[in-house]
Amino acid sequence: MITAELKKKLWSAQGGMELDLQFELGTGESLTLYGDSGAGKTSTLRMLAGLLPPDSGRIVVHGETWYDADKNIDLPPQKRDIGFVFQDYALFPNLTARQNLAFGLRRGEAEDFLEELIEISGLGELQHKKPGQLSGGQQQRVALARALIRKPKLLLLDEPMSALDHQMRNQLQDFLLDAQNRYRFTVILVSHDLGEVIKLSDRVAVLESGLICKEGSPAEVFMQHKISGKFQFSGRILHIQQEEVVWIITLLIATNVVKVVVSENESRELQVGDQVVVASKAFNPILNKV
Amino acid sequence: MNKVKGVISGIEVSGSLSLVSVHCGRIVLKSIIIDTPDTLDYLVQGADVELLFKETEVVIAKPGPLDISLQNRIPATVFSIAKGELLSSLVLKSELGKLESIISTAAVMQLKLEPGTAVQAMVKLNEMMLSPC
Repeated sequence: MITAELKKKLWSAQGGMELDLQFELGTGESLTLYGDSGAGKTSTLRMLAGLLPPDSGRIVVHGETWYDADKNIDLPPQKRDIGFVFQDYALFPNLTARQNLAFGLRRGEAEDFLEELIEISGLGELQHKKPGQLSGGQQQRVALARALIRKPKLLLLDEPMSALDHQMRNQLQDFLLDAQNRYRFTVILVSHDLGEVIKLSDRVAVLESGLICKEGSPAEVFMQHKISGKFQFSGRILHIQQEEVVWIITLLIATNVVKVVVSENESRELQVGDQVVVASKAFNPILNKV
Repeated sequence: MNKVKGVISGIEVSGSLSLVSVHCGRIVLKSIIIDTPDTLDYLVQGADVELLFKETEVVIAKPGPLDISLQNRIPATVFSIAKGELLSSLVLKSELGKLESIISTAAVMQLKLEPGTAVQAMVKLNEMMLSPC
């Protein structure tokens, strides 16, 4: 169980803001912090990591107090059991992928876990290459594996996949889910990608000017209507085209391109790039075994 | 998407399915859903809901008795027609408000539909979605 109560005066381009958050997370749970830039998401991660001191509050992870303003407890980052992955990979350029991972091992620690991580992260063939020889997705896989090498209780991810293409993202998301299943660490993720949030998180907290304005499962938070249709996906509009009296909307849902027919009225509210929820009744689709 | 507001007036549950009756003025519309009052918080007698159904799922018939399985029947008149080569969009006026139906242009011709024609708009109960409001 992770308990966090954080208060901090922050300064942004829009002026001063009082960040005031409280949340609890069970072991192995994933929480996404979602919201506009400047809402306090990254500051929250930095406070959890010990990189930014809160003004007041408390952070307790699995019974261990990392921060308590009243009791004057403030563990330095290296004493907090965390892994942190940023958008940029922050790998050592002069070390191979394997050496980058091994760098995180504590002195005298066996390399069994290193081998295991290299295997499940799919870095076997790439382990002796240096970051400069790896693609962005591969480098981020190394960064994620490195963050896991100390078996952290809490993994903090600050838009780790935003610079990657869809396929790379998917691979990295699958690796993360697999690793989380095996090692049961808790994840706090900052992401703007709705598909990613839905795939990776159990809960979402929407931040607005330093406060949680909405919290719940991804479905509860992102479904504007709790429509009863059971055939629901989130997707992004790629193309809008009129055909006679109907409009054909082309959507990207995960890696699939699908088309949905809508009426003129609905088409007026839609634009290319919009995120949408596609809903139909479970009675409509047909299944073909392949 | 057509949206019709109403009040839940009946819920028949069997296993994980519910057949929900919704009173919309004097008309009762029914929806079958894979949910029960245990799994869907707004599925209670007297709750205000919206029924959602696609224009392309609205069947048009002339008034009068029909030997047909469709039980959701809404008396309406044709308000306007936009004709395409293959498909036409009909705006209907009914006591539930304006509804839209997209049917084939051939059917518009065959039924001799024009503004002012009295019709029944019909929707299968598995095409009706529920949403709280």
